[in-house]
Amino acid sequence: MSKREIINEVVFNETFYQAFDENVKPVLLDGILEKVTDTKDDLEKKQTNWSSKNNLSCSYCQTDFSNVQQQREHYRLDWHRYNLKQSIQSRAPVSEEEFLNKTENDDVSSISGSDTEEEDSLDTYATAQGKIFLQNKKGQVFSLYRGLFLDKKGELSNVDFYKQYIQNCADNKKWAVLMLGGGHFAGAIFDYLTPVVHKTFHCYTVRAGQGGSQSSRDSKSGGSHPKSAGASLRRYNEQALVDHVRSIMELWTEEIKNCSLIFYRASGPYNRSVLFGGKDPILDRNDPRLRTIPFSTGRATFKEVKRVHLELVSGVIYETLDEAASLFAKQRSPEKETKRNKVRSSCINRAKSREIIQRPLPGDTGNSSSEENISNVNYARLESENLEDAGENDNLVSDVLEVSFDDLKEYADSLTPEERRNHQNKRKPKKSKNQKLREKEEARKKNLVDILTKGNVILMKELFEERLKTFQDIPNMPESDLAKEFFNSEVLDDKGNGFLHIAALNEHDEMIQYLLENNADPCAKNKNQQTPYSCTKSKTVREVFRKFAKENPDKYDYNKAQIPLNVLTDQEIAEKKKAQRKVKKDKEKEKKKENYIKQKEYEETNRFLNLSDREKRALAAERRILNAHGKVISRCFLCGSDMAGRTPFEYLENRFCSIECLKSHRLKIH
Amino acid sequence: MAVRTHFESKNEIGVFGKLTNAYCLASIGGSEIFYSTFEAELADTIPVIHTSLAGCRIIGRMCVGNKKGLLVPNSTFDQELQHLRNALPDSVKVQRVEERLSALGNVIACNDYVALVHPDLDRETEEIIVDTLGVEVFRHTIAGNVLVGSYCVLNNRGCLIHPNTSIVDQEELSSLLQVPLVAGTVNCGSSVLGAGVIVNDWIAFTGMDTTATELAVLESVFRLNEAEPSKITSEMRASLIEGMS
Repeated sequence: MSKREIINEVVFNETFYQAFDENVKPVLLDGILEKVTDTKDDLEKKQTNWSSKNNLSCSYCQTDFSNVQQQREHYRLDWHRYNLKQSIQSRAPVSEEEFLNKTENDDVSSISGSDTEEEDSLDTYATAQGKIFLQNKKGQVFSLYRGLFLDKKGELSNVDFYKQYIQNCADNKKWAVLMLGGGHFAGAIFDYLTPVVHKTFHCYTVRAGQGGSQSSRDSKSGGSHPKSAGASLRRYNEQALVDHVRSIMELWTEEIKNCSLIFYRASGPYNRSVLFGGKDPILDRNDPRLRTIPFSTGRATFKEVKRVHLELVSGVIYETLDEAASLFAKQRSPEKETKRNKVRSSCINRAKSREIIQRPLPGDTGNSSSEENISNVNYARLESENLEDAGENDNLVSDVLEVSFDDLKEYADSLTPEERRNHQNKRKPKKSKNQKLREKEEARKKNLVDILTKGNVILMKELFEERLKTFQDIPNMPESDLAKEFFNSEVLDDKGNGFLHIAALNEHDEMIQYLLENNADPCAKNKNQQTPYSCTKSKTVREVFRKFAKENPDKYDYNKAQIPLNVLTDQEIAEKKKAQRKVKKDKEKEKKKENYIKQKEYEETNRFLNLSDREKRALAAERRILNAHGKVISRCFLCGSDMAGRTPFEYLENRFCSIECLKSHRLKIH
Repeated sequence: MAVRTHFESKNEIGVFGKLTNAYCLASIGGSEIFYSTFEAELADTIPVIHTSLAGCRIIGRMCVGNKKGLLVPNSTFDQELQHLRNALPDSVKVQRVEERLSALGNVIACNDYVALVHPDLDRETEEIIVDTLGVEVFRHTIAGNVLVGSYCVLNNRGCLIHPNTSIVDQEELSSLLQVPLVAGTVNCGSSVLGAGVIVNDWIAFTGMDTTATELAVLESVFRLNEAEPSKITSEMRASLIEGMS
């Protein structure tokens, strides 16, 4: 593909004029790039070609099956799914081989799971860019801005492109470009490529802090317009801008009338109202020559206006349609990955590694402007000088050493730099030794924690004895103190747990017993302010602590250790309970007795009350006599016992002392 | 038997109700006539349950089920799920499905043995369907439409399908589903069958507008009149075949 085939040209030029002929018509690019997809005719042909021999078939994949099982299995295949989707998009089905090839090449996008959004086709991209592609009789393809031929509402189908081209670009090469935004106005009228007239100016209308024009702010806030000096200034300027633009346009009326096209950029209601608003608008909204600028522009300046014009008039001629498509696709691909496009996607794909952004190094930039080069050279020279300086400094130091002040006594014991250096060298391995020690220590701690969690008392004893051996050199240290030191000094994990804590947490009674016997302190607290006793919930473990506390009541402050001292052992509790039960029983017995007496009394009174008055009187008399003489008057009819003062039981006019007597008497009679 | 009913004078009873061989769901909030129609016909055989799904009344389009299970969309409230679990028979598994296509009733059509599903349904959902509903799952489209649940209704005896389905497709589908297939309409010409009719093995409910012919087709394809099999084979066959071709 030689470069001559692609021509970047200004549309007014001869090459374009020659290329344009009356048969120019718009073309689509997508049909060319995706040759895989068949045209509709092909699809229909394929469909009609195939017809199943029996019911056991899949019309989507155009296959037959020998039995139902095969058919059912087929419906689960990815191939079938792919063809389903093809048929939904009214494309021809692919054969199994084709499908396998595609999957091997990873060509099939998302057969499994749901469809992602379809990518924009090349043509939609082109329309988004405001471009159209035209083809002439010779097969040449031009890409041009759509605005040259069509206004906003224009349809591609009913436009005579040749006529439009002649009208807008060949006969009359006068175009106007107007840009308005943010208080800036820039306008120019070009004939061919040269600006005939142009004007730019700026008014202060945009609210600096918040942005937006003053008028839109006023309309939003309803009745209350801000009365600040700035606000009124902006309000005035807005009006001034409108007037100014109007006056300019009036000056240019003749020129504008002769223009074949008017491109404008006026974003927002305010800016549009400047051009089209008012009783007598500057531009007629329905003017067929009016076009918006189809790409993004910067601030309205003369420079920008010139750039916009140049961009608009430039077109590209490709020799063939294929070429146009491929080149245009290339043009698009870098843009796909622009930052702006990326920001739009709502979620970040964390599965992908982030792309590396290659920034030029600050020191040597690619754009080799002469100034920078010089500065680079300077920088390099400076650096080298610095290096030399450093070298000289070294030398200087050594010189000074040779003339060292040995005779000054204060510095007599100070080290020479060399010695110092040696010293430093010595220190380094020491550091590493420290590290080793620390590692060793950590390993030891880990080992200890391991033993404690497993509750291995024997191993613990061994460790302790080893430790004792190392301390044998210090004779005046009793074993108990050593043990105290050994078991108490250390915090074994990051929660501040000591020996006892860990043993208690893992509920090893024997280990706790052993540790306590060896002077491990139960008052030690971990980072949660828990003592070993309170850090466990196990009853048995707590029992061990309590027992120890009872046996050695004065050894530690058990209040501090949070071990309750006056709590009884199980046996004691049982005894206590027994005693309590006994007391209770006794009490109940007494009560029963009392109740019995009361009952009797009650019965007696009842019986007495039931007696007739005569008898009551007799009884009272009896009692009186009994009190006075101490003699018994009434006796039981049967047993003859004394029943003075008691209420008698009566039967057949005989009196008895008790019911038993009465009963036996009755039995005798009968 | 096929019964005409309405939901607040709407014909789309398939939107507001769900009927299977083991239970019937009726949406909350309609006039009580809707519910009591079901109650009258079904109460002595299967439970009729008042419910909403995710606070919506369109339960028929949101859930899918058969006698073995019920799938509800992920947006279903816990309370509703609990209510369903309490009210449904113990043999019915209730399962929430996390699926992008959350109108399960529109994307899945099933009887007690097979299910047709939307081609884009998740693999995981497919597995859940197999496990919960105990069916074979086939991805398919109906008359070029992916919403299989909306355009086809089936029970264990037959299947009613979108009227635009080609004969080839019908034959394929019938061999796939292993039930006879009839293309037809409900509610006086509506091709959105899933919304217009709910059916199980012995009864169908359709919208008020359903014509007598449509009812007759319904009854014959779903074999709702087993009591009079001779009628279908003799008298109606001719008209049925005519209607299909």
